[in-house]
Amino acid sequence: MAIKLSANYSKKLGLPQYSSHSFSASVEVELNDITQVEAEVQKLYQLLQQSVDQEIQQPGFVPTANTNGNSRPAPQQKGRAQPVNGSGHPSAPPNADRWNCTDGQRGFILRIVNENPGITKQVAEELSQQLFGIGVKQLNKMQASQLIEDLLVLAGKPTPRQTRWQQQPTNAQAA
Amino acid sequence: MNTLAASSPERSEQDVLTALQATVSASRLSLFLQCRLKFYFRYVLKLKKPKTASLHLGNAVHAVLKAWNKARWVQQPLSLKVVHETYQTAWADNTEGSVAWEPGEEEADKTTGWRLLDTYLRESHLPAAIKPDAVEVPVEADLQQHGLPRLIGILDLVQQRQIIDYKTSATTPNADKVSHTTEIQTCSYAILYRHNTGAQEAGMQLHHLVKLKNPKVVITTLPPMSPGQETRLFRQMEAYLEGLQRRDFIPSPGMHCSSCEFFNECRLWS
Repeated sequence: MAIKLSANYSKKLGLPQYSSHSFSASVEVELNDITQVEAEVQKLYQLLQQSVDQEIQQPGFVPTANTNGNSRPAPQQKGRAQPVNGSGHPSAPPNADRWNCTDGQRGFILRIVNENPGITKQVAEELSQQLFGIGVKQLNKMQASQLIEDLLVLAGKPTPRQTRWQQQPTNAQAA
Repeated sequence: MNTLAASSPERSEQDVLTALQATVSASRLSLFLQCRLKFYFRYVLKLKKPKTASLHLGNAVHAVLKAWNKARWVQQPLSLKVVHETYQTAWADNTEGSVAWEPGEEEADKTTGWRLLDTYLRESHLPAAIKPDAVEVPVEADLQQHGLPRLIGILDLVQQRQIIDYKTSATTPNADKVSHTTEIQTCSYAILYRHNTGAQEAGMQLHHLVKLKNPKVVITTLPPMSPGQETRLFRQMEAYLEGLQRRDFIPSPGMHCSSCEFFNECRLWS
């Protein structure tokens, strides 16, 4: 006898002006064997979560302070949804002391500054502004990684050449 | 993120395998899926092989493109003379090992590499007015929530949210085939980009510098990674993890063996 497994994944996100949007996806599959349940649940959860996360990033119409959801629509949002905190409500205004990169990257940048007299906080800040047009604390993870690379070069301690370039196929060599 | 742990010669095979299960790159994953025994020789046993001429050329070309992109980023573009000097220095760099050149081969290859760069830069594929978002930046993505290892990689160039990867090639790439053959790499980069910027890439470009008598540049433009491609990559990473768990290092004989540096070792496998 076939075993039916139903899975549903739902997510609700807060949006500005105390609004929210939600999306859910469901799927039903048939299993031949009860022992498949655990693995199948794991697979379906991952699949549904990815699918919902992918779609829910497009918030569509978002009310503004002027429209409160009842008059003309707000301009079309591009990219990801507004940042939300764990409770599903809009995040508080960015904290000036908060770093956007990882704690590890923050520690690395501060260590370079502390251990290299020629690289002051001002040097790091100016480099960040020159490269990205924003301050060090506002850098995302990719930008912070780039800054670290460049600060290490300034400090005369460039990271060793990456091993990625070793032993590639000979007819389509990575440059 | 920016430090790579040096592997100690005393590490046991199990330690090496544990580390490989914790972290994966596009090249490791691609090699594992191409031939598990070759993966074993390179990443587990770490058998040393002489540096190839094409690798040396690729490294030198890459070093120049990195310098070029960094310079235009800070609005101090390099003159052709400085580019040539950078190339000479990069060519002389043997820190990753020396190539056993045949007589006359080195000069010919060195000229080929320079002609590739000269062609690429003269054709202005990288306008000075457009600033990069990143140049040869190491990035990583924690995929633990998917039950997968940490993904690591280096993005050659990111510009206007386009991920650009450089390749030197002996043959002209076919656009349809190359989008398939590089899918693991391009999708890995897309995941890395998304995890590290919180945004979706605008697309990807493969810049092939083709080593023909008359060098040419072929740019293949690819769309952003689709959800289906992401799922494929995750399934391939699952297979990688399971294969390492089982120590499934079997040979996969095929056309790719003709250029494999571990051909002799493979023949002894039983």
